[in-house]
Amino acid sequence: MRDEYLLAALRMAAGADPVPGRVSADARAAFHLRLPEGIVAAPVEISGPRGARSGGGAPGVPEDDGPGVRRFAVAGLTIDVEAVVADGRLEVAGQVSPASGCAFGSGTDAGRDSGPSAWPGTGGGTGTGTGTDTGSGSGSGWQVEIRTSHVSKTRDLSENGRFAVGGLPAGWVSVVCHRPGEPPVSTRWMHVRS
Amino acid sequence: MCSRSVPPSMREVTSMTVEKSLACLDQAAWEDLVARFGARMWAVARAFGLSHTDAADAVQGAWLRMVENLDGIRDPERIGAWLVTTTRHEALRLSRRRRGEVAAGHDLPDAVLPDPAAAIVDADFGRHVWERLDTLDEPCRSLLRMSVLRPEATYAQIAIRLDISPGSIGPTRARCMSRLRGLLEEPA
Repeated sequence: MRDEYLLAALRMAAGADPVPGRVSADARAAFHLRLPEGIVAAPVEISGPRGARSGGGAPGVPEDDGPGVRRFAVAGLTIDVEAVVADGRLEVAGQVSPASGCAFGSGTDAGRDSGPSAWPGTGGGTGTGTGTDTGSGSGSGWQVEIRTSHVSKTRDLSENGRFAVGGLPAGWVSVVCHRPGEPPVSTRWMHVRS
Repeated sequence: MCSRSVPPSMREVTSMTVEKSLACLDQAAWEDLVARFGARMWAVARAFGLSHTDAADAVQGAWLRMVENLDGIRDPERIGAWLVTTTRHEALRLSRRRRGEVAAGHDLPDAVLPDPAAAIVDADFGRHVWERLDTLDEPCRSLLRMSVLRPEATYAQIAIRLDISPGSIGPTRARCMSRLRGLLEEPA
């Protein structure tokens, strides 16, 4: 009999702390975040250098809820994500590999090794848009959708597979890669709050 | 693949066989789940002493884990236990994060197995527990009442209110919870 369950039962009986309406509304809205026919990529440990924003975490040891690059992989596709909160807003940068529409050989590997420090910035034009950045797209039709519980932003993937979005609400975030003719691939939901 | 022709109602969800997938849930059935289990999930998150913001994140995290696991949950009859258990996991992670503890290993939870003990998170059972709690001696009675009704109270606040040393609160509460569990195991 776990203490938390006992305390929770007591709290329910006391009726002193009802569920806030916002919490219930978010729970109901979560239904629309399903990805029918989608594939959830599994988290993968990263042994390389951590993100430029990551601070001093030990290499290869992801921090619980902390900043740093998180990698998700499914057969044939890897999504690297770095999410941080700056000035109360969530900034997400990352890379999909292999990128579409480009030869993904040794040159690309070098690009990946450069990590998030080479990723596009999240300020300015990429930070607050609500549509799609068609100007930076590779023309392949590959897109990434950065989803939170309340807002989603879609970006065309650049030729090297990189993406960046800012101005999102802190909290839960997931990245979905959309490829024409293929099922969408999503990361697990990550909690990012300062 | 699920049929969209006959959306399942909540009644159908609770009586689904384990062979059926929750991927067939429709909006109405989902909202029924929220109405049925939302309060239990909230109570569990708050029982960890989380703030409203963190408790909301823990509860939402559990719903999002369900979103990403719809195809993998094969026991819909235990979905309530799964949701409550997952909320507990998310709340525990957030609680550790707030205390500055960094968990080793990966920060994303593995698949959650429904904890049968989650069934006690229920208002009727809670009223039964209150009856037993009120039979405890002091300081247990007041300490546990504060733990329940003021989960965000700091040790310093509790110490002043109950006139006990802050250092003794943790061990005392553990002993009090143990006594309460003992009372609950006695025949009525």
